[in-house]
Amino acid sequence: MGELRVLFQHRDVPGIETLAVYEQHGGYSALRKALGMTRQQVIDEVKASGVRGRGGAGFPAWIKWNGIPKDERQPHYVLCNADEGEPGTFKDRELMMRLPHQLIEGMIIAGYATLAKVGYIYIRGEYTEPARAMRRAIDEAYQAGYLGKNILGSGVDYDLYIHMGAGSYECGEESAMMSSLMGERGQPRLKFPHAPLPTIAGLWDCPTLINNVETLSCVPAIIRNGGAWYASMGTEKSTGTKIFSVSGHVNKPGNYEVEMGTPLMELLELAGGVKGKLKAVIPGGSSVPILPAEKCDVNLDYESLQAAGTMLGSGGFMVLNDTVCIVRFMRRTAAFYAHESCGKCTPCREGTRWMVKIFDRILAGGGRMEDIDLLLDICDQIDGRSYCGLGDAAAWPIRASIKHYRHEYEYYIQHGHSIVEAQAQAIAV
Amino acid sequence: MAEQELVTIEINGIELQVPKGEMIIESAKRIGVDIPFFCYHPRLGRGQAANCRMCLVEVGTKQPDGSVRMMPKPQTSCSLPASEGLVIYTDTMAIQKARRGVLEFLLINHPLDCPICDRGGECPLQNNTLFYGPGVSRFVEEKRHLPKAFPISDYVVLDRERCIHCARCTRFSQEISGDAQLEFLKRGADMMVSTFYDTEFTSRFSGNTIELCPVGALTSRVYRFRARPWDMKSQKGICTRCSNGCNVWLDYRPNRLVRVLGRENEAVNEEWTCDKGKFGHEYVNSDRRLLSPLIRKDGKFVTAGWVEAYQLIASRLRQAVEQHGAKSVGAIGGAHLSNEEAYLLQKLMRVAVGTNNIDHRLERNQLPLAGNVMLTRFGVPFAQNAIADIEQAKTVFIFGSELVDEQPIVFLRARKAWYRRGAKVVIAYPEVTETELRFDEPLVLRYREGTEAALVNGLIHLLLDSNKAVTDALSADELQVLRESVRVYTPEQVAEATGVPVQQLEEAVTLLGEGTVILCGAKVRNHPDHAGLLHALANLTVLTGNAARDNGGLNILLSEVNSHGAADMGVLPDGLPGHAPIGDEEARQRIERMWGAGLPAEPGFNTHAMLESAAQGQMQVLYIVGEDVAQKYHDPELAQRALENAGFVIVQDLFLTETAQYADVVLPAASVAEKEGTFTNTEGRVQRFWKAFNSPSPEVKPDLNIFAELAVYLGKPIPVFSAEQVMDEIAKVVPAYAACCYEVLPAEGRRVVQSAARLRLTPAAEGAAVL
Repeated sequence: MGELRVLFQHRDVPGIETLAVYEQHGGYSALRKALGMTRQQVIDEVKASGVRGRGGAGFPAWIKWNGIPKDERQPHYVLCNADEGEPGTFKDRELMMRLPHQLIEGMIIAGYATLAKVGYIYIRGEYTEPARAMRRAIDEAYQAGYLGKNILGSGVDYDLYIHMGAGSYECGEESAMMSSLMGERGQPRLKFPHAPLPTIAGLWDCPTLINNVETLSCVPAIIRNGGAWYASMGTEKSTGTKIFSVSGHVNKPGNYEVEMGTPLMELLELAGGVKGKLKAVIPGGSSVPILPAEKCDVNLDYESLQAAGTMLGSGGFMVLNDTVCIVRFMRRTAAFYAHESCGKCTPCREGTRWMVKIFDRILAGGGRMEDIDLLLDICDQIDGRSYCGLGDAAAWPIRASIKHYRHEYEYYIQHGHSIVEAQAQAIAV
Repeated sequence: MAEQELVTIEINGIELQVPKGEMIIESAKRIGVDIPFFCYHPRLGRGQAANCRMCLVEVGTKQPDGSVRMMPKPQTSCSLPASEGLVIYTDTMAIQKARRGVLEFLLINHPLDCPICDRGGECPLQNNTLFYGPGVSRFVEEKRHLPKAFPISDYVVLDRERCIHCARCTRFSQEISGDAQLEFLKRGADMMVSTFYDTEFTSRFSGNTIELCPVGALTSRVYRFRARPWDMKSQKGICTRCSNGCNVWLDYRPNRLVRVLGRENEAVNEEWTCDKGKFGHEYVNSDRRLLSPLIRKDGKFVTAGWVEAYQLIASRLRQAVEQHGAKSVGAIGGAHLSNEEAYLLQKLMRVAVGTNNIDHRLERNQLPLAGNVMLTRFGVPFAQNAIADIEQAKTVFIFGSELVDEQPIVFLRARKAWYRRGAKVVIAYPEVTETELRFDEPLVLRYREGTEAALVNGLIHLLLDSNKAVTDALSADELQVLRESVRVYTPEQVAEATGVPVQQLEEAVTLLGEGTVILCGAKVRNHPDHAGLLHALANLTVLTGNAARDNGGLNILLSEVNSHGAADMGVLPDGLPGHAPIGDEEARQRIERMWGAGLPAEPGFNTHAMLESAAQGQMQVLYIVGEDVAQKYHDPELAQRALENAGFVIVQDLFLTETAQYADVVLPAASVAEKEGTFTNTEGRVQRFWKAFNSPSPEVKPDLNIFAELAVYLGKPIPVFSAEQVMDEIAKVVPAYAACCYEVLPAEGRRVVQSAARLRLTPAAEGAAVL
């Protein structure tokens, strides 16, 4: 099938990050069209498109859009999640650097549909270059009358603000992001059913629409060409296209936009093929369970990947060849989650650090056979016990790695070094 | 109050009805199901709670077809609101495992120093581990190491190794006390509680965080290593450090107070104490306590027996009355005595000595009974509103009070009204106060000291002009007179005189409406024209429609623990018990009949007059009970001259105070922990306190016994067997206290004042005008 570029349709056009070039390629025509539609018509198009949240959870976007109150008793907000912290994921970075106006257009349309007069883009602190690109684009959009008071004479007001994060992975979680944006500690807040959904009481207890950069970037194309057109791509339940950030042991790492349902191996081919022998793939960022090579005969859509025991996640597609020691790889993953745990909930705060200590001991040659089951049990105690998904995300990859590569753990514990090194030496001999 | 909607839920197969929105952890308590927890606290907000994950339960919802759909993950019951058809399981295998998991996680970094930890024995972590925890830990790595016993203030010491990050203390400091001094630093397993840049933890309510801490991470430097919880006994007490009347537990070992804990009373302090209350009772244990009566001989104090002291006092009193008349003796004190003792003091002076020279007031306001504006206008001596009702106020008007210092617990209610219920806050004070920093952008009227009355009259002027004034039930004539009298207080004039901009005055008037609680503090009590200012404030109260409301009214907050009670008990030169005017023949005769004794009909001297008289050498005997007049009188210089020139000075106190240095006889009195009785707090609530332990010496006596024994030596015995019996007599003599006998006094105490507001206005006093 090859690449199918919708979001990236004009990615390689020189100067597409500027307003003039973006407009030459149909930029802001979707906004004009949307302003001519009723708000509900816009939401209905998004519904018809079937686009699902691209941040990782895959929640149907239109349900959020439709969940915002239809009257404006309080201010409404649109919050764009640009805190792309998931290891292995760099699609939003490119979307913001190359196609900032596409995101702005999507956010204005989202604001129009949900009665919001203010939008925030929460960009992760490390993304200074994408933030600068967004800043330049927003300034241009203001000058051209796409932002500010009375957009394009429609009577609609919309202001867009950039908020930079301070370097916490946790702030990519929507409730922690709201805490952070409101000046509080970047920790998650109570969620449904303990508290109302953000669409009812989000930022400053006002209705708030929270979508990922990629989700919002889909919106202009959906409005321009119609939801049905978008839904015609992909599979029945996973419509449209998805950008995968392919990294690791491939010859041409980078962002590849493919139709939902594309076979995994085809994406590997697009990325120039695997360097060496494929060992495993992590298809959706470091949080999702690892997929061993023998199970890689799978299509890239939400349902198929779930059936294969992993997840589409954010599309951070990491490719590992047979030089990778799974135990060391998982030690690194565990260390990441221990470092990024916000510290709020007991299981995640204590459990992630404990797992790192166990990994360190195994790597130092002090492993015990019971450590493998201990790790599994700690994963069980963290998974599903915390406020937000960070705890789950810390447990899933380790649990999956033990499921698929238990022999590597056992070898490391028995011999004090990795099975991969042993194999490499054996080949060399 | 609207009827609460009930929903039907099921917990462990037991169906029950609970209010909609109630947290499941509370619903479970109703049927005796125990759900363990650490971070949950009903008085702290839910927002940042549910972090310990100890109270997880399995939750499902009943479907229309009768089946139950379970949620995939367990939920925290402390933050899960009850809704129709919820099905809860608190004790499944999965939940038992989750609890073991949480406890194992908490314990991997928790030091096992329970044997030397103050919390040991009353520690939720110990208890929950015992009931729900794993028997052994699988943790073989190195535990977290941090500095231990890190002092963060003179009172609180922090042990970060023990901290389980429940965020109770940080939530308290943000939500309840509002000083936000405790916060978390760092994140993940490195997260730690800290003050900002390790500055001193100067909160006025820091002690509460010690009690809130579910482990021994925050401990008291005062109590540290003093006792094990199981070695202590507890007695119910009332804090004596201010007039709020906080309920406390006095924890003691034999004859030694080791700590003070907050005791729940929803009507007063909920469960909080301020640091003055929590750490301010150390004097009870002091080595400098008086242990026997002292008599001055040849200029030096000599230890004496009680008989000798009584005989000397009795002879000097008799001699003075015989030679110079009853006007030549007087007693000062009572605000620190219990109701029973205050009652007995005035009875002693009136019946056994025969004088009305008796007063408990040391502040500037010592107006005669007829000048008590609150009594004449609203029928209550000091406060119209109950402390608990402050939280229902729509506007809290803090007038002339550094509330957080003067009335810490009233402050917490006022802050709760603002924080939880969105009440508006107006603060009038001449300087920057800490109180105003505890609210977000309150309206602050920064007047020049001395222009209080002009400020209030200016507000009245604006109010009358604004058509907002509630005037329906008022006399048109009085209204006209008031209108005329405040005509000169134009906003511009008032702004110039007080320094408060016109815009702020106008804004204040928009905020002052029905449901405004006015809280007056020291600046009002000590105002030179106290009565004029109070009349103006009373006018404002009437005109804003708050003359007779639960959530609105005028409140004079008092300074001492029993200022209210002493006034009620008649420790006043012109007021008999129950604020009966001494000049009122009928009232006096009623009490004479009850006491079976004649009473002096002439009003006596107030404190100031007594001191003036003493300073001029005309006071033969001055009896000072529980007051350090030399230091605390608002005019200390006068007090010192009075003490120097008085013929014979008796001081009855716990310590050899500065006042006692002038004494001829010093009588050692028992502390509040060593006696029983009742206090009446600033809102007029009578509350009991109990004797915890014996005095440091058998020669130390409760004031009650001293008064009774002295009466015997004066030849006019007043039979006293117990505080309870005195209260029975008070209940007969003082109508408001009729239901305050110990037998019928409720655990939360009883408010003895009921507002009988007269909807009257008085013209603005001309003398008060500072224009």
